[in-house]
Amino acid sequence: MNVKGLRVLEGGRAGESSGPPSPAGLLAELYEKHAAAVYGRCRYLLKDDAEARDALQDVFVKLLQALPELRQASSPTAYLLRAATHHCLNLIRARQGQWREQLRILGAARRQETEPPERRELVRMLLLAAPEEAQEVAVMYFVDELTQAEIAQELSRSLPTVRKRLKEFLAAARAALREAMPDVLLPEPEGEAL
Amino acid sequence: MNLELGGPGPGCSAMRVRRLLAGELAGAEAERTLLHVQGCARCGQVQRELLLEQEALRRDVPFPAFAAGVAEKLAVRPRRSLLSRWAPMAAAAGVVLAASVLALRPSDTETVRSKGAATAQLFVQDRAGTRELSAGEPVVAGARLRIALHPGRRTQAAAVLIEPGETSVLYSGAALNGPLPQAFEWTGQGAASLLVVLADEPIDAARIHGVKDAPRGADVWQVQLHR
Repeated sequence: MNVKGLRVLEGGRAGESSGPPSPAGLLAELYEKHAAAVYGRCRYLLKDDAEARDALQDVFVKLLQALPELRQASSPTAYLLRAATHHCLNLIRARQGQWREQLRILGAARRQETEPPERRELVRMLLLAAPEEAQEVAVMYFVDELTQAEIAQELSRSLPTVRKRLKEFLAAARAALREAMPDVLLPEPEGEAL
Repeated sequence: MNLELGGPGPGCSAMRVRRLLAGELAGAEAERTLLHVQGCARCGQVQRELLLEQEALRRDVPFPAFAAGVAEKLAVRPRRSLLSRWAPMAAAAGVVLAASVLALRPSDTETVRSKGAATAQLFVQDRAGTRELSAGEPVVAGARLRIALHPGRRTQAAAVLIEPGETSVLYSGAALNGPLPQAFEWTGQGAASLLVVLADEPIDAARIHGVKDAPRGADVWQVQLHR
C-alpha cells in the first residue's frame, strides 16, 4: 500500500536491519542461549517433562515482560536460572506432601542397594522440607554451586543471612532424613563453613 | 554413613561452567575457568550434562513449538477468554505468528476501550521497545504500529487511518482475534485518527471517513495519533 501519510510494513517486520532486533529474532536468540538451562532446571525440579515444557514457556513469557531486568543482570544465565527455580518452586510447593513419600521410597530402595542416593535428587526431595526462604538458597548452593558470597550478591542479601538460610535447609534436611534414612548423616559442606 | 550434598568446590562451580559456555566470562576469568574445566573431572561432567540439556531441549521443545507456546501464553489475557480462539491460530501459524504476537504483547492498559466485550489495542515498536501506545504519547518517526483486535463475537473488522483530506484503509475483513497481519508506519505529520470498526456484517471500509460512517450497531474505537 502506498498512500500519503502511510507506509504499510509487509508482515509487520520491515526494516529489521535497523532499530531493535525483530521479536522473532529476539526470541530465537534467547532460546538458543538460555532455553536449555531453563528447561533443564524445570525438568529437574518438576520431574515431569510436560510440566517442564509448560514451565519453560511460562518463564520466557515473564522474561519477555521484564527484558530490561535481564539486560541489567550481571549474568543473564544466573538471572534466568533463578527465575526458573523460583517459578518451579512455586509449582511444587502445591505438592507439599509428596516429598515425604518420595523420600520414603528412596529410603526403602536404598536399603536394597549399596549405592548412596544421588545427591542432587536428594536435594530436590529435601527442598520442601525446608522453609520457603531457604529453598532457593539451597538450589543456588547445592545445584548451581554458587559460593555463599555469590549467592549473597545475587539475592542482594547479607552473607550471614545466606549462611542462616543454608543452616535452616540443612537442619530441615537432617530432620527429614532421620525418619527416612536414619543411618545417613549430612556433614557440613566441605567447601565453606556455615 | 556420611552423605555429601555437594556445593561449590575449590575452583568448581556448575554455574561458572554454564557462564563460560554461555560466553558470559571474559578475560582472565574466562581463561582461568577454561583451564580448570579442561583438567577437572567434576566440571567436565557438568559440561557433559549441559550438552545433554541441549539435546533434551531440541528433542522435547523445538523452537517452533516453543515459540508458538510462548505466543499463545502471551496472547492469553487474564480478564478475557481468548484462548479458545487464539490457540488454533498460534498452532497453525507457528513462528511467524509468534513473532507477531511478541511484537504486540498485550498490556493491562488499553489504548482504546470497548463498551462491550470487544476491544482493540494499538502497539508501537520503536527504539524504546515494544509496548502499547499510551494515551497522548506521540508517535516517533519510523515507529512501527500494529493493531490487535479482541473482537468478542463480532465477525467483521475494518481499520482506517484518517488524516486531513485522506483516508487509508489499513484492514478490512474477518475480525481476527489478535494482531492484524500487517504493521504500518505513520509517515504523516501533526495529527491523525485511527478508527477500528467491528461489526457482524461485511464492512465497506472505503466508505468510512469518520465514526458517523460506521455501520449501524457496529462497535467503533478511535485513537488519536500525533507527533
